[in-house]
Amino acid sequence: MKIRGVFIEDTFAEAFTMRVARIVVTARSTRWVQAAALKLTGFATSVIGCKCEAGIERELPATETPDGRPGISVLLMTMSKDDLGKRLIERIGQTVLTCPTTACYDGLPQAPDRVRVGSALRFFGDGFQTSKIVGGERFWRIPVMEGEFLVQEKFGMLEGVGGGNFLILARSVDAALAAAEAAVDSMTSELGIMLPFPGGVVRSGSKVGARTVKSMIASTNDAFCPTLRAITDSALPEGVNSVLEIVIDGVDASAVTAAMRRGIDAACRDGVVAISAGNFGGKLGPHHFYLRKIMHGTVV
Amino acid sequence: MSGGLLARLKSPLQQRADFSEVLADPWITLSAGEMAQRAVYLERDGRVLLGDLFELQGEPGGRIRFVGDLENGDRLGAGLKQGEVIVEGSVGSEAGLAMAGGALDITGDAGPRAGAAPLGYKRGMTGGELIVRGSAGAEAGASMRRGLLAIVGSAGDKAGFAMIAGTVIAFGSAGAESGLWSKRGSLIALGAILPPRTYAYACTYEPAFVRLMLTRLGLRYRLPVQQRHLTGLYRRYSGDLAELGKGEILEWVAQ
Repeated sequence: MKIRGVFIEDTFAEAFTMRVARIVVTARSTRWVQAAALKLTGFATSVIGCKCEAGIERELPATETPDGRPGISVLLMTMSKDDLGKRLIERIGQTVLTCPTTACYDGLPQAPDRVRVGSALRFFGDGFQTSKIVGGERFWRIPVMEGEFLVQEKFGMLEGVGGGNFLILARSVDAALAAAEAAVDSMTSELGIMLPFPGGVVRSGSKVGARTVKSMIASTNDAFCPTLRAITDSALPEGVNSVLEIVIDGVDASAVTAAMRRGIDAACRDGVVAISAGNFGGKLGPHHFYLRKIMHGTVV
Repeated sequence: MSGGLLARLKSPLQQRADFSEVLADPWITLSAGEMAQRAVYLERDGRVLLGDLFELQGEPGGRIRFVGDLENGDRLGAGLKQGEVIVEGSVGSEAGLAMAGGALDITGDAGPRAGAAPLGYKRGMTGGELIVRGSAGAEAGASMRRGLLAIVGSAGDKAGFAMIAGTVIAFGSAGAESGLWSKRGSLIALGAILPPRTYAYACTYEPAFVRLMLTRLGLRYRLPVQQRHLTGLYRRYSGDLAELGKGEILEWVAQ
């Protein structure tokens, strides 16, 4: 299968079931809502080292936020229910509560599973906090030096999908970057997904475990490292000199599938030799995204 | 989803009528015929049936619409726990008395003590949303414990009197001694208000929860929320300091 001359390998991306929350942050201006969202999603590329994965889903116009101010929706994902609550409390407490003029709302109001967030953060108010019920939901008003921080008591939690991915195998780093940027641009603001890595792109895909340090749970994916082509069991076709990976986390498999289709299509351009995907033989993750199945009907 | 029930007043009420039992649970599942059997107590003639006063039609769907002048109708929506009640017109005293849930939406005026506590009881509203699109009489939201009372017109004297918690929003002016003796709760005044002397000024700021509430009221009930109320500043007064002092009056001020 080829798309605009780019070979689509007959393989699949292997992804995991994760817990996901959608956090809607608002502030008086886009400057401050962006400041809060950037901190909220900082150091959250992979559960391997960051305890959670988080990214900006999309910017929200004032007409779409609960309080009519500019907003950003963030998806935050963990491997377990307990972890999700902990990470939400830590991150909202340290990055949104602290940011001038912000308020923080649940973006999954229909989710039946609820995790307590505001009800833990309220204690920062040292007894001066008050609550309000608006539309059947409780919100906490925490007095702060700037004024007042408003945070919803509970956040919805869904079973999401983490680790959807595809690899861009290119003739040069320039071509790989151009394709990756095009793919990220095509997926940005896609509802229900986020790209947790810097700029949405990973240059250091990993394999499970390590050859040398046995305690490591992940190490460099040597089969896709161009510099190791001659000394390892390389998976790289001839002519490939740089590989970049796009990792996609989403609220469900269909959101990840739609984003992969868009991203792969955008990445199929000059200088790209093939599109592949990362998996563990299908033994670890329950979600398998077959590239050719996803791209069915888009063959040029 | 069913459009709910429609109750159309057959002829103007010639004497005061007590509707306090009409919307007792489980009214949302009752058919028009069953609702017609609910009791109404007339000031002179005593017990009659709702069906004697109203033509009832429609299917149960958690919603009922009363059409007609109910200025002589007291305690409509008293103890309401669920469902949506719309009154196309004005109502008498004690509408939504001690209501606990659901929504009571009155397009006209409400008499005294809307959403208040029954006489001799400590707690007024404990939940739900009471919308008065006209003006409300004295002691609106008195002793309310939880819930929301929004008055699009003016509020009479002693609005939010002795509130325990909850929120009263007055789009128009609020009468004398509003907020007096409150323990907690918020009295949000978008019009003129003179806070009691037992309240103390704290600061002028932008409370995010007011934006949240007003935005929702604009979307959910189409209330006439102005942009200046969303973006404006509010003077916060803490009180009643002769009581617990954890309540507040938020007075909108032009920037």
